[in-house]
Formats: sequence, structure tokens, C-alpha cells
Amino acid sequence: MSPAPAALLLAALAAVALLADRIVSVAAIALVLLLVCLRAPRGRRRMYLVGALGSGLAVFVLTPFVSSIGWHVIWSGPTVPVLGQLDITREELRIGLFQGLRLTAVALAFAAYALLLDHDRLVQSVRFARRSVLAMALATRLVPTLERDAAGLVEALRGRGVEVSGARGRARLLGPLLAGSLERALNLAEAMEARGYGRPGGTRTPRPGWSRLDRAALALGAAAVAIGVLWL
Amino acid sequence: MALATVCELEFTYPGEHEALRGVSLELEPGEVVALLGPSGGGKSTLLRALAGLVPHFHGGRFSGSVEVGGLDTRRVHPSDLAGTVATLFQDPVDQVVFTRVNNEVAFGLENLGTPPAQILTRAAQALAAVGAAHLAERPVAELSGGELQRVCLASVLALEPRLLLLDEPTSQLDPEGAATAIELARASGAAVVVSEQRPERVLDACDRVLFVADGRIRGGELPEAWLPREALLPDAEPSGPAVCRLEDVSFAYGAEPVVERASLSVGRGEIVALVGPNGSGKTTLAKLASGLLEPQRGRVTREGRACYLSQDPGRYLIKERADEEVALAVGGDLACARATLTQVGLAGFEDRHPRDLSSGERERLALAAVLVAEPDLLVLDEPTRGVDPPRKDELAALLRAQAPARATLVVTNDLVFAAEVADRVVSTAPERERAVA
Repeated sequence: MSPAPAALLLAALAAVALLADRIVSVAAIALVLLLVCLRAPRGRRRMYLVGALGSGLAVFVLTPFVSSIGWHVIWSGPTVPVLGQLDITREELRIGLFQGLRLTAVALAFAAYALLLDHDRLVQSVRFARRSVLAMALATRLVPTLERDAAGLVEALRGRGVEVSGARGRARLLGPLLAGSLERALNLAEAMEARGYGRPGGTRTPRPGWSRLDRAALALGAAAVAIGVLWL
Repeated sequence: MALATVCELEFTYPGEHEALRGVSLELEPGEVVALLGPSGGGKSTLLRALAGLVPHFHGGRFSGSVEVGGLDTRRVHPSDLAGTVATLFQDPVDQVVFTRVNNEVAFGLENLGTPPAQILTRAAQALAAVGAAHLAERPVAELSGGELQRVCLASVLALEPRLLLLDEPTSQLDPEGAATAIELARASGAAVVVSEQRPERVLDACDRVLFVADGRIRGGELPEAWLPREALLPDAEPSGPAVCRLEDVSFAYGAEPVVERASLSVGRGEIVALVGPNGSGKTTLAKLASGLLEPQRGRVTREGRACYLSQDPGRYLIKERADEEVALAVGGDLACARATLTQVGLAGFEDRHPRDLSSGERERLALAAVLVAEPDLLVLDEPTRGVDPPRKDELAALLRAQAPARATLVVTNDLVFAAEVADRVVSTAPERERAVA
């Protein structure tokens, strides 16, 4: 499948997850997207899956403690300053599960986009807003680049006999990683300008047209959004 | 008529760093000019001025004039100069836009408005010219440093510019690859300005040499340290009790083995240079020796503490002061860190932010960050990348002076440095399998 219809299909599934108001519908979409993500190489997909599933789980766990909805109390806890009385209701659990699944589905759609799509072809196949799409593709590439930079920093520290362990140790690398990314972004911008980026009259490498599968994916995406609005 | 004219160019970066002072020169069509000079002397800034990136991209104070192909760089945007001028920057990793090699080479052609039917053909021709046709469909992230440098060279050659600016284009290439790259640039018919830290790699191929130091072009003879030297590689027998021994080790990142049944021993008191073509497994072997990688087959034995210096000095920029960065390896001992900074010629830089240092200074900071630990096994991966010859001499002298205390393994493409510093040279090249594997 070409990357443009694939990206549109993933965007449609993410939109449906946001539009649907039944837990089972959102769970089904998240499951489908999870299966899609599992097609990516094991080494690359791990970080994305941990991020997507972890953030969904965090929303599920935290929601009952930061909201006060419903009257079917399952557990009643102490009163905490600012938050008030900690209690968990059946309704809060339901909302937490629903929002957690929504977030997971959207994050998995992004993970599938980042892991499985050929971003080069995506940029080249877009006929409008090419600059925005290129910026998006470069931003997507930032994730594996950051991952590589982080691994490089850890390796260089190990090479000096300094072990990086635990969340605190890794958190200390965030500042250098961010500074490195900014420096890299500036260098890249300079190199792009030197290669004529932004000059009017650009052309594109010829690409094959859309196949039947591509058109079917587009139709499926549109249908999914319509179904999401009307029935899910 | 000159292709490019630089007249009384003075340039100061924002922050008052005066980079160029009264530089004047003319470039004729088709001539090859080598820019030599110390790190931070103004070579890269001069190249950026010729590309119009100074002052358009960097800002700063600019006086004098630069004209390329009849276009005044103060009035024409760098992207409009692209095609007339093409620039290959120092670090290939930071100039890659796309994820696949053929798309990367096609990027510049698309920007210049090349007819679509010609784009893929010209990209393929450029890749073939640099010996990288087999890489066309490969993801950029999977390439070695040398392979990536070839791809970046193909990206600029594909534009068929009239003026080709090369900023240390051979820093990650093996000698054969470097000679090919310079020859290709010359054969392109463009006027070429090539900045280099290894004079022996360019002097034979260039028509003219300019020595740039302190922001000025110096006339007269080249300083002695910059004259090309012959690399007479030493061939001593292994000596000293082995600090590190690799026996029959193999390693693969994926399906293809990078190191296969290799053996190597480094004894206390000796310096071993590991040389070989790009992609032959030198860095992997060095990481196996230092314990950063575990062999999938075979055995590695090591005595005492091992330290590894990465190829990329950008990995030694964690703290906010140079002395604190160096002190990381010695539990925060700042006195020890400052002494080591002095050893590598960075006295007075203690309180500077590592990111404010020039590329050559960053290299030395990274070296200090591993030397400070006084390891039993010191593994240096391409320690002379971006380092000028006088600094290389100093580095060789420093390593020689400290050699008796440890075993030292130096991975390098710089055969002159290898000849200067090493007791023994081991090659990963297939034809010299008697040494490794």
C-alpha cells in the first residue's frame, strides 16, 4: 500500500477512536492498531508500544483519583489536601478505561505511522503542503534519532566507566539530548538551505500512481469515520 | 574571468567571535584549491561565505564582498545559489534529510527543478560515481560513517555545480576512499575548494594551497607540521603482558557478521593501530576489546579498567562545564580533570560550556574525558577526526609518553598518525588476514 492512503487510514482510525462513545468500539480499534504495530521489527517497536500502552494505563489509573463522578462507590479512601476525599466509583473506572483506551488507540495509530510507513515516499507523494509534510516526516524521524543519540550517550558514559541506571540516571540525559537535537536541527536546516530547499520551481521524482488497494484504503478510512460518527 | 571573487571579507559571528579578517581571493573555473589551517582558523567560515550561508543563515557582522558566478552573495539567498554552488559539510549525519539513500541524493535535484524524468537517472549516476550504487535502496540509518560520507558526496556531485565546497570530506573515509573522493571532485569539472586536516590527502590533487589561520590567508611556505608526510607503518612483534586478548571472536548486529573469528592482543606498554577499509569492523572490534559489546562467539579477556573514546565528540557534552564533563570518569575530582584538560591543551577552558567549543576543541575534550581515568586499556576510535596536524603531533607525543602505563588500541584511517604513534599496525582488510582473523 502507498504511504499516503495508509497514513489517511491510520488518521481515520484515530479519529474514529476519538469520535466513538462505546468502550468496546474503542477497544476494538486499539486492538486492531496493536496488531498492526506488531508487524514492525521487535527492536524498534518496543519503545512505541511501551509509550502507547503505558500512557493509556496511566490515564486509567489516575482518572478515578482526579475526578469526582458517579455514586456507585467501590472504595473510599482518606481525604488529601487539594484533591479532596479519595474514592473510586464504578463510573470513574469506566471513564478512566474509556479515556485510557482512546489515548492508547491514538498513540498506536501514531506508532504504526512512525514504524511502518515509508516517510520519504509520503513526502514525495503529497501534492500540497509539502513543507508541512516534510516537517512532520523530519519530526517523526526525531524519535529514532533521539533513541540513537541516547544510546550513544549511554555508551560513551559506559566507555568512561560511568554506568547509567534507573529513571533518575536516564532523566539526567534529557537536557543534553534536547540540546543535541537543537544543534542537529540547526545543522540540518543549514544543509537543506544549501541544497536549494525553499527555492521556487522545485520538481518531484516521478512516483507510480495509486493502486486499487490504495483507493480501497481511502474508502475504508472515510467509511470508518462515517460509521464512527453514526453508530459507534 | 574568475568564477568567484572574495574581496576584503571580514566576518564576525554573533557573540563577537571574529572569524574572517580581510580575506581576498579569486577562484578560476575548474581549479582545485586546498584550504589548510588550524582548527577554528576560519576555513569552514570561508566556505560558508562562498555558499552565501554567511551571513544569511548565521547572522553576524559582514563587510567586504563575495561574488559567485556573477551573483553577490549579500543579495542572493543561499537556496538560490544552490546548483551554482554545492557544499559538503563536515558531519554527514547532520545533513541527511531523507531516510533512504536514493531519495537523499534526489532531494537537491528536486529543489533545483530538475526535469522529473532525469532525477532518478542523475541520482543513480552520482551514486555509481562514488562507488555507492549498491547502497541506493538502503536506509541511511544503517550506513557506516564512511558510506554516509560517500552518499553525501554523491548528493552534491549530482547537482553538477560550478563551485564545489568540501569541508573535510575525507574525515571518515579510508585512504582509498579519500583518494577516490578527491579525484571525483576534480573530475567533476567544477572549481573545488576543499578544506582538509590531512594535507597528504589533497596536496597531490590540488592546483593551489591556501593556508588559513586566525581568519586570514597566510602567504609563503606551509608550516613544517603541515607538509605531507610519508606513512611508514611499523611492524613490531606483540610485546608486553597482554592487557586485552580477543580470541576467535565473532559479532553481528543483524544477520551479516561484522567481525568474524578475529583475534587480537594488546600488551601493556604498546600502542596498536587498527586500520582497514570502511565497514570492515574496526569500531566493532574496538568495542569488543573495551567491553562495550560482548562477543557472540569466542572469548575476550581483559585486565583492569578499560576506557573507550567514541568517534563522535558530541557524546561528551553532558555537563555544563568542561572540567565537570572530564571529572565524570573520576567521581567528580575537578583537580584531576583540570590537570588532564591542561595535558590536552585546553587549559583556560575549564569553565567553558562544552557546546561552546569548536569541533577540534570538542575532540580534545572528549579525549580528556577518557584519559583522566588513567585506564589499563585505552581504546581510541578515530581520535584525529577534525584534528589539525600540530595537534595530532601533540596527541601522538602524549599517547607515547603515557604508553608504558597501559595498553593502547587506536582505531584510525589516518595512516600518517598510525605510523607516528603506533608500535604495531593491525589491519582488518581482507588481504591482511594474517594479522586479524
